[in-house]
Amino acid sequence: MFEKVLIANRGEVALRILRACKEMGIATVAVHSTADADAMHVRLADESVCIGPNAAKASYLNIPAIVSAATITNADAIHPGYGFLSENAKFAEIVEAHGIAFIGPSAEHIRLMGDKVAAKAALVKAGVATVPGSDGPVKDADEALAAASVIGYPVLIKAAGGGGGKGMKVAESPKSLGAAFHLARAEAATAFGNDSLYLEKYLAHPRHIEIQIVADNHGNVIHLGERDCSLQRSHQKILEEAPSPALNAEQRARIGKIATDAIRAIGYRSLGTMEFLYEDGRFYFIEMNTRLQVEHPVTEAISGLDMVREQIKMAAGAPLSLTQDQVRLEGHAIECRINAENPETFAPSPGRVTDYHVPGGLGVRVDSALYAGYAVPPYYDSLVAKLIVSGNNRNECLLRLRRALDEYVIGGIETTIPLHRRLVSNSDVINGAYDTHWLERWLGLER
Amino acid sequence: MAKRDKTSASAGADEIDAARVRKLAALLDETGLGEIEYATDRWRIRVARGTPTAEPARVARPAAEPAAASAPGPEADAANDANLPGAVKSPFVGTAYLRPAPDQPPFVKLGDEVKEGQPILIIEAMKVMNEVVSPRAGKIARIAVENGAPVEYGSLLMVID
Repeated sequence: MFEKVLIANRGEVALRILRACKEMGIATVAVHSTADADAMHVRLADESVCIGPNAAKASYLNIPAIVSAATITNADAIHPGYGFLSENAKFAEIVEAHGIAFIGPSAEHIRLMGDKVAAKAALVKAGVATVPGSDGPVKDADEALAAASVIGYPVLIKAAGGGGGKGMKVAESPKSLGAAFHLARAEAATAFGNDSLYLEKYLAHPRHIEIQIVADNHGNVIHLGERDCSLQRSHQKILEEAPSPALNAEQRARIGKIATDAIRAIGYRSLGTMEFLYEDGRFYFIEMNTRLQVEHPVTEAISGLDMVREQIKMAAGAPLSLTQDQVRLEGHAIECRINAENPETFAPSPGRVTDYHVPGGLGVRVDSALYAGYAVPPYYDSLVAKLIVSGNNRNECLLRLRRALDEYVIGGIETTIPLHRRLVSNSDVINGAYDTHWLERWLGLER
Repeated sequence: MAKRDKTSASAGADEIDAARVRKLAALLDETGLGEIEYATDRWRIRVARGTPTAEPARVARPAAEPAAASAPGPEADAANDANLPGAVKSPFVGTAYLRPAPDQPPFVKLGDEVKEGQPILIIEAMKVMNEVVSPRAGKIARIAVENGAPVEYGSLLMVID
C-alpha cells in the first residue's frame, strides 16, 4: 500500500481524496496555488506545498511543479482527482516515469478515450452502439454538410479533443451548419488546442445515463449500476441520481454487461464511466471518462462501496473487493451540485462565506470544502458543494432533499441552492420525467 | 511549505526595529546557534532558526503599557522578510542548493556584495538545475534556506539589501 499520496487537485474533491487516504492511514501531501493556501484540505493534510500563483495554468495544471512537489516530499503516488490533469495522458506518463504511481488508468487508455473520435471507433469495434454520426472527423464545412445530410438534422458538432460537455454546437438546418462549424472549430482550437471536429445526430429527447465501471490490474471488471444525469445546463450536470427512474432491472443488467464486456475487451483498469444517451429503449455510447467523477457519491450511496478507497487500493495492486454477484445496489440517491453562482443569471459569486450550516440527519451527506470564513477564490470552477441524499426509494429521497435544501445555509455568497429548491418541487422532476433538454427549456420558460 | 504542527503567529507590534532583527538573524547564521534572545529593560526580542516548524520572531511590548488591540499579524520572521523589496522568493518547487556542486564553495556568503543578475543559488526541479540570480545589486543580508532544503513556490530564499 502507498505510504504517501500527493493530491493534485483542490476544492471538494481534494478533501474527498484526503479523507480516503486518512482512513487508510496513508500520509497526505496537499499541493495548492497561493490563492488556496487556506483551503480546508491544505489545513488538514500532513504536508503542503505551494506550487504556483493563482492561475490554474501556473499551478494545478503545472506538471513540473506537481512532479517536483511529489519528489521533494517523497510521495509514492499521485491522485489527480477530476478535471485539471486527471485526463492528461502526458501527465500520467511523466508521473509513472518518475517511479510514482498514477492513481488512474494507463496513459494509453487516457489518450484513447480522450480522443472522442478514436474512443467511439474503439467502442464500435467492441460491439457497442454509438450515436449515429460522421464516424470520424470532418475536415471542413463541406464535408460537414455532406455528413449531416446523411445523419439528418438537427446535428451536434463536437470537438474530438473535447469532452465534459464543452465546445459543442447545434446546427438545426443546412443553412446554419456553416457558421456553427466555424465557430466550433475556433472554440475547439482555443479550448483544447485541437480543432478536429466530428458530427453526431442531435437526439430529440434522450436521457444521459452513465455506467460506473471498476477494473483492477488483474483483469477483474465490475459495474456499479447507472447514474441518470439528464438535468444539465449548457451540458453541465446540475443534479444526478442513482438508479435512473427510466430504467428497469433488465435494462440495467443489459447495459451493465455491455459496458463491462467492452472494458474487458479494451483491457482498461481503474475507475471509469461510460456515458450513453438513452432514447426509446436504446443506448448510444457518447464518451468515456477515465477518472473519478464528480457524482460518484450517489453510486457510493446505493452500493455501499468507498470508490476512492477502492481506486487507491487497485492502483496499489490489490484486486477488486467485490465480484459482480456480490454487488448490491439498494435504495436511491440524489446529488445536487451547488455552485457559487447567482441562481437565476448563473453569474459567478466568489467571496467570503459568512454563516455556514450544513444539513445533517439520516441519509444526508455534504461533500464540500467550504467553512465559515472561507474565501471562495474567483480563479477556479464554481462548484462549492455537493449535497447527496439517500433513502429507501426515490420518494423518500425527494422528501429528504427538500428538507436538507431548506436547512442548508451558505451566507455571504450567492449559490444555486434556490434553483435546486425550485427543481425538487417541480412535478416533472418529481415524476422523473425529464430528458437532457428539459432543464434548459424550463430555464428558458422561467425567464 | 508547511507541516501540520504550525505554531501560532504573534500579534503585530508597531515598533519593529528591522535592522536589529536582521543583525540578530545574521548573528544566528554566523554562529550557527539555534536561537538568540536579547533583552533590554524596554523590550525583548528572540530570533530562532527559520525552519518550517520553528517559532517566528517575537517582539514583546513592555509590561507597563496596555496590550495593543491589533489584528494578528503574519508570522513575523518569514512574512516580514518575504515582503522586503530585496526578498528573493522561489519561482518554483524543488530543492535549493547553495553550491554549484557538492565539492565547490557556495555561490555567496552572508555579507557578500552581489551584482544584479549574479547567480546566488540553484533550485533543482525534476533533475534540471535552475540558476536563481540576484534581482538587484546589493549585499546578502540573509540566507533563508539550508543547502539541500526543499522549497515551494514563493519560499523565501535570500534577502538582498
